[in-house]
Amino acid sequence: MHKGYLAIVLHGHLPYVRHPEHEDFLEEDWLYEAITETYVPLIWVLEKLAEENVNFRLTMTLSPTLISMLSDPLLQERYLLHINRLIELAHKEIERTAWQGQFNSLARMYLEQFTLARDTFNRLQRNLVNAFRALQDAGKLEIITCAATHGYFPLMDVCRESIRAQVKVAVAHYEKTFGRKPRGIWLPECGFYPGHDEILKEAGLQYFLSDAHGVLHGTPRPKYGVFAPVYCKGTGVACFARDLESSKQVWSSIEGYPGDYNYREFYRDIGFDLEYNYIRPYIHPDGVRINTGIKYYRITGTANHKEPYSPQWAREKAAEHAGNFIFNRQKQVEYLHDLMRKKPLIVSPYDAELFGHWWYEGPQWLDFIFRKIAFDQDQIRMVTPSEYLAENPRNQVITPSMSSWGWKGYSEMWLQGQNDWIYRHLHTASARMTELAKSNNGTNGILKRALNQALRELLLAQSSDWAFIMGTGTHTSYAVRRTKDHLLRFNRLYDEIKANAVDNQWLTDIEYKDNIFPDIDYSLHQ
Amino acid sequence: MKILRRIKDKFKKLMRKKNTVRHNAQSFCAKEAPKNIPGLRETVIEQAKFSNPQHLRQGGRFMPQELPSEYGQDQMALLVRDYRWLYTYWEVKGSTWENLKKSLGGEFHRAKRVLRAYDVTAIDFNGNNANRFFDIEINESANNWYIDTNGPGRSWCVDLGLLLVSGRFVTILRSNTAHTPFEGPSWITDEEWMIPEDMFARLYGMGFGLGRSSAAGKNWQIFSQVISSGGVASMASPIKKVSQEKDFWLKVDCELIVYGATDPGALVTVQDKPVNLRKDGTFTLRFSLPEGKQVVPIKARSADNQDERNITPIITRETK
Repeated sequence: MHKGYLAIVLHGHLPYVRHPEHEDFLEEDWLYEAITETYVPLIWVLEKLAEENVNFRLTMTLSPTLISMLSDPLLQERYLLHINRLIELAHKEIERTAWQGQFNSLARMYLEQFTLARDTFNRLQRNLVNAFRALQDAGKLEIITCAATHGYFPLMDVCRESIRAQVKVAVAHYEKTFGRKPRGIWLPECGFYPGHDEILKEAGLQYFLSDAHGVLHGTPRPKYGVFAPVYCKGTGVACFARDLESSKQVWSSIEGYPGDYNYREFYRDIGFDLEYNYIRPYIHPDGVRINTGIKYYRITGTANHKEPYSPQWAREKAAEHAGNFIFNRQKQVEYLHDLMRKKPLIVSPYDAELFGHWWYEGPQWLDFIFRKIAFDQDQIRMVTPSEYLAENPRNQVITPSMSSWGWKGYSEMWLQGQNDWIYRHLHTASARMTELAKSNNGTNGILKRALNQALRELLLAQSSDWAFIMGTGTHTSYAVRRTKDHLLRFNRLYDEIKANAVDNQWLTDIEYKDNIFPDIDYSLHQ
Repeated sequence: MKILRRIKDKFKKLMRKKNTVRHNAQSFCAKEAPKNIPGLRETVIEQAKFSNPQHLRQGGRFMPQELPSEYGQDQMALLVRDYRWLYTYWEVKGSTWENLKKSLGGEFHRAKRVLRAYDVTAIDFNGNNANRFFDIEINESANNWYIDTNGPGRSWCVDLGLLLVSGRFVTILRSNTAHTPFEGPSWITDEEWMIPEDMFARLYGMGFGLGRSSAAGKNWQIFSQVISSGGVASMASPIKKVSQEKDFWLKVDCELIVYGATDPGALVTVQDKPVNLRKDGTFTLRFSLPEGKQVVPIKARSADNQDERNITPIITRETK
């Protein structure tokens, strides 16, 4: 008989980066790398588990921007070019390393991985969302939604109309993609501000996730800490809080599993290591060295000297770490069960890209986790949040605290010297969008197109990713440019709509560039 | 005036320089992209603008590159950064200033510009009934400010105003109300869900991953330590990059290029592996060169199988 629940949640998100006007665009690589390194390997793990009838549960966000990019024909076409180039490079690497057995077998490993990734991509009609949809329909995976473009809600409280648009556009997009309504939402950066649960309720959402202090610092005190969900006072929307112990074990750069010396070293990539003229065709067309994805070393230690990677050793470590993770959860569940006199729920949310992209062995580790929990023990049962609620409908009612999972736990990452200038512009644009939506009921033709495009531009400007990148202080120019470009396009649309003088040619042009959410409805911004 | 103009000129020059760089960076895209794709138009306009602004202005509207510094509105917003700090920004339109100058006369110029932060927790604020307030004197050019409230778990509202010599406060703009979260757990407990202090302390510590051995006690401050040790966020790398041991460093590796030519129809093997020939019969192979001796037998056999040539370079790498 199980003594507690475990809910693993992966947050899959990338900002919308798609530049049809440029043949080769560096930031689009974020998507291509994520496909090869994270999403395809995850699909391999999950499909195999489903095929072998292993009883597992996983909850996963697929953010509307990520879904839109994965489903976009232009980006799909470009991914094929990208993976074909990598396959070509892997072939060359096999030849080049002919006299060095260890590197040679790694080059072969990459060739196989890239070729299989391409096969999987083609088998899924180039759209990975198809695989996730099928897994959800099979009852193993619960896909939740996210804000339309990952806007950070606590800093949008002065324009709740935009929060409503972020949520409702996302829900509509989810329904169209998956043929059902989403049950839960991942609030971008786990950013919660009391009262925003009303908007979630309006949109028909049952639950969201928060960081630990969102619940621990809620009012009144949560009786079961983070180990049971709470309902928001006034709305009954459930809030599931992150357990930091299980998070730290995986996530922490100091104590976490991914730092083990046997795992693959992320920062030693042949894009930086190899002779320039040889690697030139596979790095940025400007000649700037970038990661290719082919990495030959293991972390080895803290020094600069690195030893070649051994897939076998790394795999054994992943199995050992999965065993350790489960052992710790068992101890945790046992202790909590005695303390609470109730089955605790441990919620372990992670960024999806940790698995595979940053932590190469992450998908293997997940695979071991699912199998060991299914076959080697009976103290822990895996659940999805909505399954938990169905079985445990009686929960405490509190008002969760404002919180995020970002640096220092609140909004500072997105509100500091480098990025605070954006809010006066974003909020003004929000107010203008509300004004436009109010004064334009039931439009059609070019006016309707312009209004819908205005909402697209506003949403795209609101992505928390831009503020985040500015906040890190490095490579900020792209994030600054995106914020400005979308706001400038919005402002011009606003002026043209007000003057009833929409420039059709220009509108067509930006519709083509910023083509996200083809069925968007501007009246959702209210 | 002169100085101002000089600065302006300098700025313009700088901008021109920046724009040239930008233009170069984009030129490779313009070259390769077909001219009739719809998304190109704005880009082309940008480029034209960078290289020749006069030419562009004749052709109707162009996209500005910078956001307006003002929107011509009276606006003040209050945002919560964390349990202690607020952030406010504002814009006062010209006519509002004019009206103030008119109504206040000479007092206007002697007045201090002030942010007045009201604690409006649990009240319906009407401008006069705040629980308490404090003032922050700001400079005239400021249009945003971080406010240290040192007041977690409270509601706040901020006025931008003028503090007259007489002590009278004149509100120019009033912000929205914002609520700072608690710094630690709430002191309010739920009768229906009563929880012993000790048990909550244990659950609280566990929620922050502090293990089971020690209850958090009433030292709720642990929270800030846990959180500030580095949170997470999407787009962040959780994997630590190990810094270089020393500032100065040198890396050396060797590769070997083996190349040759034969009759284009010939069959060539290098170390017994077949090699693809180019159309002109040349071939190139590139090897990462390990320490020690490499024997590289190269064989070419003619298309009609009548002739064979063998050449065997021997290469030794010895790194000292």
